[in-house]
Amino acid sequence: MNEHRRQILQMLSEGKISADEAERLISALEEGSAGKPSENVYGSDAKAKPKYLRVQVDSEDNDGHEGPTKVNVRVPMQLLRAGVKLAGLIPAQALHRANDAIHEQGIPFDLTQIKPENLEELIEQLSDLSVDVDQKDHETKVKVKVFCE
Amino acid sequence: MIPLVAVVSLRGRESRTLRIRVPLMLLWLLLVPFAVLLSPLIFIGCLACRVNPFRPFSVGWQILMALHDTEVEVEHRSAGVSICVF
Repeated sequence: MNEHRRQILQMLSEGKISADEAERLISALEEGSAGKPSENVYGSDAKAKPKYLRVQVDSEDNDGHEGPTKVNVRVPMQLLRAGVKLAGLIPAQALHRANDAIHEQGIPFDLTQIKPENLEELIEQLSDLSVDVDQKDHETKVKVKVFCE
Repeated sequence: MIPLVAVVSLRGRESRTLRIRVPLMLLWLLLVPFAVLLSPLIFIGCLACRVNPFRPFSVGWQILMALHDTEVEVEHRSAGVSICVF
């Protein structure tokens, strides 16, 4: 019994899916193993490439003087790709100066490594990115969420 | 596809919402003469920096195409601004 079939049966035993759904999943699994990759059985979304990078910021003033502030930004991944390509146009001297400035700040990042060849890999890694920041102090409460969807 | 319309929503403190549809096609048409005027400068700048002079145009075009579906929303108290590019 393979792992996927075991998961389906586990979900059935836990009551998460009905017997009909389990049967459909297993038959889809069998069809998938005949030709398609097995990931498709559980929905193509599992491996689907994200289309957007979303940044959400919620800020609230505990005193209630300032009122809540919300920022919601949705950036298409295509725009990120184009942005990285734009970064590739920066002349080498300027890149080295920017690198020096970044290193002075103690950030171990090399801008010269951003090349069109590495672009797809970079975007792929971004798809798993999820950043949650919660900050609470006596004056403000700030929540920042960065994720791909 | 080039974004053709941007919807700008402005919400005031009296909870009145002003929604403006900006036809971006007109904006692009207005910007074309400036782009044409600037292109020789960009070309010369690229040659001076030893960058392929056609790449900035290609990347600029890609950025323009990628603006589609961009959304920015900022709210403060009851006031807010939202920009959606379609």
